[in-house]
Amino acid sequence: MTDPTLRAGFDAALETAINAALRYDPGTRARLAQLDGRALALDITVPPLPLVLCIEGDQVSVRHYWDGEISTRLRGSAIAMLRLLRDEDATPAGLGVTVTGSSALLAELQSILQDLDIDWEAPLARLLGDVPAHTIGEALRTAGQWLRDSIEQAPQAAAETVSEEWRLTPPRAQFEAFVEDVAELALATDRLEARVALLKEKLAARGDD
Amino acid sequence: MKDRKTTHFGYQEVPVDEKAGRVADVFHSVAARYDVMNDLMSGGVHRLWKRLTIEMSAARAGQTILDIAGGTGDLTARFSRIVGPEGTVVLADINESMLRVGRDRLLDRGIAGNVEAVQADAQYLPFPDNTFDCITIAFGLRNVTDKDLALRSMLRVLKPGGRLLVLEFSKPESKLLEKVYDQYSFRLLPFMGKLVANDADSYRYLAESIRMHPDQETLKQMMADAGFVDCEYHNMTGGIVALHKGIKP
Repeated sequence: MTDPTLRAGFDAALETAINAALRYDPGTRARLAQLDGRALALDITVPPLPLVLCIEGDQVSVRHYWDGEISTRLRGSAIAMLRLLRDEDATPAGLGVTVTGSSALLAELQSILQDLDIDWEAPLARLLGDVPAHTIGEALRTAGQWLRDSIEQAPQAAAETVSEEWRLTPPRAQFEAFVEDVAELALATDRLEARVALLKEKLAARGDD
Repeated sequence: MKDRKTTHFGYQEVPVDEKAGRVADVFHSVAARYDVMNDLMSGGVHRLWKRLTIEMSAARAGQTILDIAGGTGDLTARFSRIVGPEGTVVLADINESMLRVGRDRLLDRGIAGNVEAVQADAQYLPFPDNTFDCITIAFGLRNVTDKDLALRSMLRVLKPGGRLLVLEFSKPESKLLEKVYDQYSFRLLPFMGKLVANDADSYRYLAESIRMHPDQETLKQMMADAGFVDCEYHNMTGGIVALHKGIKP
């Protein structure tokens, strides 16, 4: 069993990160404040990490122990829960997440997280000044877009590398032509088999005469 | 000559009526730099121990909470936010210097309105019966002269169903950790005390008093004997610290 101190360290770090991010999105904080006192239990199965997110005012508190009422409880893997909370079209059933309690809180949190718009330039500007912060912000946004594009294109790029560069698998067009040939061969064999059967029947009929 | 009853003050035996004064001297001496030293001595981990104490307290808005030996007000500050304007947190400490530092720090952080500071002895708590929903005593019980008396006093002022949480240094679970911890406490700790607070003796007393404090099972039994029910404890950081919980029936 993990020492409670380590677990408390993890909870504290997560809580600090969430609230630090929220500090730069006043709109989200105001919407969170309307959910004051509600608690969302996340029974994360992979990795095994049960935690409770309690909304206290316009902040989020991350807890391991919670004796109070749970508004909504989600059970599933960490990745499934993240997708559920971030992806508008994701459904609990489709991701293998079990929901108990009020689904209204889940819907509200999904909506809040999808509208999350953290102004990362604000803390940088406070440290470095407006111009350097904007330059860094632009660079980060470009890098972020490049990363998103790369991730989107990654499956196609990987497939091309494996077939075209490393020649481990045939190219898609060649494979499709091969599949068509095999299908044609299978059909021709079936036809031949049918003709042989027909000829056999004819020969058998002559023998009888 | 009449024999006087004695108790331990670190590794020394002192007359019972002298212990409180000697403990007071230690804390008068360390009060101003108590927070810095706590962070330095524990590597900041004391904040995580206190965080778990808050979680286990199950404190809610509107409740009345007593933070005994509240020292510099770490727990009180957090409780103050949880109980909100309808609730009350009483910061109690026997030591005037610690209480003053704690009260000033809370005020400096804008924490006021639902917080009261009371100089009180844990053995004779100056509150009516059944007053508090929750009592915490963090790193304070080992300095109390008569722990049984203090536990009974806490039971008296708790509401039925209220919970007591005792956060205190305890006995490490592994022998190896115990050896490392001994070296740290008796060699490094007084040295750091000398360096930061210019007071090696006080920090030597802190290390000795930890060793003289009852271990996990003994303290759990003491709580049960005082009248608490559902007593349990959670070891933290390998048992260097334990959080005991008991409920007033």
